[in-house]
Amino acid sequence: MELFRFSRDVYGRETLQGMSWDRLWVFVGVGCALIVVHAVYRLLFAPKQR
Amino acid sequence: MTTLSGASSDGSARADRILRHALPDRVLHWISAACVLTLLGTAFLPIVGFEFPWVAVHWMTGVVLFGAVLLHIVRVLARGTWGSMWLGRADLADVRDVAGATLRRALPKRKPGKYSVAQKLVHHGFAVAVLTTLVTGSLMLLRIDTPWWQRNPYRLADATWGIVYVLHGLAALLLITIVMMHVYFALRPEKLKFTRAMLRGWVTRKEFDEHHDPTRWRVDP
Repeated sequence: MELFRFSRDVYGRETLQGMSWDRLWVFVGVGCALIVVHAVYRLLFAPKQR
Repeated sequence: MTTLSGASSDGSARADRILRHALPDRVLHWISAACVLTLLGTAFLPIVGFEFPWVAVHWMTGVVLFGAVLLHIVRVLARGTWGSMWLGRADLADVRDVAGATLRRALPKRKPGKYSVAQKLVHHGFAVAVLTTLVTGSLMLLRIDTPWWQRNPYRLADATWGIVYVLHGLAALLLITIVMMHVYFALRPEKLKFTRAMLRGWVTRKEFDEHHDPTRWRVDP
């Protein structure tokens, strides 16, 4: 999985194009993981709120 | 003004509702929210396979968000409320208290002011990500035709454009995670009072007494 996207310019040089969109699912996954971890903690381990 | 409705039902002089978010702040919040969701949708839906002409909607929504953020900054500066989001020593003590309470599986002893450390961090996360997308997005407007100018992709070198695109994409990806967390916490039962405050403006006196330190969030009695 690439971190960045590259292309070649008219002279054949490698040019940075931006973030690799493969990373989209990493950020979605991190969001889901944080939500699940917090929800499980609150459900099973956290003391009752005031 | 920080309190609403003159007297409580028991006849005491204390107001039973406390203003947390004034109407202009709520309007700016929901305009910004609609803009961010539209921007994320127009940016990422085509990437995951939902093809549609997204560029015009994307940049026009970005301009609206730019205006909303500018108005927010002007309002904060004009009212001198910059400090309510500032992270200070008391917030570090809150972090230690929450961390210790989490390890002991106990409730934190300290109460926050108007905003908890977590709320401040989410705000700052949004601020960094949104400002980065707005600055880089403004530069990217040079590459498209708008009512104000013709496209000129040669204003910056290719390598510089690459950095601009990386920053824009990275900040947009960060926004996905931050928005997910923000919506999740806004919908949690114990946080619904904050969501209601962002819709209707107020928290109850009981909620204020239970969840806030009155020496750190000073309201009228």
